[in-house]
Amino acid sequence: MIHFDNVTKVYANQNRPALDHVSVDVDKGEFVFLVGPSGSGKSTFLRLVLKEERPNSGAIHVAGKDLAKLSNFKVPHLRRRIGCVFQDFRLLPKKNVYENVAFALEVIGKPRRFIRKVVPEVIELVGLEGKAHRMPEELSGGEQQRVAMARAFVNRPMILLADEPTGNIDPATSIGIMKVLDRINRTGTTVLMATHDAAIVDSMRKRVVELEDGKIVRDQSRGVYGQAY
Amino acid sequence: MRANFIFSEVWIGLRRNLTMTIAVIVTVAVGMGLLGIGLMINSQVSSLTGYWTNKVELSVFLCGKNDAFPACKNKGAITQEQKDKLKLTIESMPDVQRVDFEDKLQAYKIFQEQGNNALLTSVITAEEMPESFRVKLKDPDKAKAVEESLKGQAGVSNIVNQREILDSAFGFMGKLRNMALGVAILMVFAATLLIGNTVRLSAYNRRRETGIMRLVGASNVYIQLPFVMEGVIAGLIGGVFAAVLLIVTKILIFDQIQTYMAAPLSWNTVAGVITLTMIVGVVICLLASFVTLRRYLRV
Repeated sequence: MIHFDNVTKVYANQNRPALDHVSVDVDKGEFVFLVGPSGSGKSTFLRLVLKEERPNSGAIHVAGKDLAKLSNFKVPHLRRRIGCVFQDFRLLPKKNVYENVAFALEVIGKPRRFIRKVVPEVIELVGLEGKAHRMPEELSGGEQQRVAMARAFVNRPMILLADEPTGNIDPATSIGIMKVLDRINRTGTTVLMATHDAAIVDSMRKRVVELEDGKIVRDQSRGVYGQAY
Repeated sequence: MRANFIFSEVWIGLRRNLTMTIAVIVTVAVGMGLLGIGLMINSQVSSLTGYWTNKVELSVFLCGKNDAFPACKNKGAITQEQKDKLKLTIESMPDVQRVDFEDKLQAYKIFQEQGNNALLTSVITAEEMPESFRVKLKDPDKAKAVEESLKGQAGVSNIVNQREILDSAFGFMGKLRNMALGVAILMVFAATLLIGNTVRLSAYNRRRETGIMRLVGASNVYIQLPFVMEGVIAGLIGGVFAAVLLIVTKILIFDQIQTYMAAPLSWNTVAGVITLTMIVGVVICLLASFVTLRRYLRV
């Protein structure tokens, strides 16, 4: 599903590579934690999957497509198959829960009938039934992140990227978020989650890929967070 | 669905940027209005030039009894013999198409008809009007040469080339047109910058939305179209104001001076000018939006 082959990324005006000869394979339906300290290259990894950045060398395949050969014109189609969740939720403050989720479908031109049908389903899936007409500011952090997950998942992506989704949320609420991610994963969606949260990684017992200074220092199925420290 | 979504986005954008939108509309309206006025003057000048050029004559005035022109001083009025000779000379010139003689009485009539002020008309008698040959040329551009060769002839007091009179009138209209077009170009330039700025502001205001659109895989057209439409709609509204301005100008100015013009400005011409200015306005808005988006909206 995601295939990195000897990928190196050096940002302009920086000497040290953000990713240094990284090779990783993530299969369909896997749940993978991407761990490591700040600046270890986790976010770069996610940005490369989305083709927001281009690698300096190496090949990246996502959902069977060679990103180097993917024309800019087709990048939006790639992104439709990838959902994204962020630490800061990135909701539209002037739209309610329903509208925020529907927005993701409206802007890719889905018919209104389809939107009316699937949006309530997804809102229920993330556990926000009955809150469709609340505004983001009326919701707690955990609830806002659920909205973001609903938006990321509403188009049934093949891959869900989560960049520190529990970074702004207290540990008790984080468990709920992880349950939703797990639920999404069980539908067959590949989930790739970058995180600092040791407790979550330890409790989930999923595959862990650890990055340090842009290099993979550990790739363990059913791993825990702390071993390298 | 699609259209619905884009129009609601456009509406939000225009409303959030109301002051800039108004600035764009006013600039486009004034710019396109001036461009249209320039084009209207231009069409008047060329249709008039065509009309008058065919009618242009050389007026060869002849010496009267006590004429004050230096060429006639102390020589008295032109004799019949001189007149006949002069007529033959003019007729034999290759560039001349026709020669008509205008006597004092005819001249007096025309003078009266032209409606000069009553006092002057009552004082001047037919006897005081000059006689003249009205010379029609095959090619109006040869007027200068014909004029030169007739100048020294006996009994000729003065030669008036109507073309020169017309030229100065057309010259004035030409200057007016150039001024209108010059200001129009400046306004178009200002409009371009303003639209660029508006679109940039709009892109900045909605960077959240566009960021999310990019992430969920909205196509470039979908992301950019609302911004481009904003520019185009502002341009269109400006164009409508310009059209109103042009219609008012036709009624209040062009139609008022129509009595002095052989070819009045037709509504067809006005419609053509309005269409052209609208297209120019919208195309400029479109281009300005696109160029700005390339710089400020990474897709």
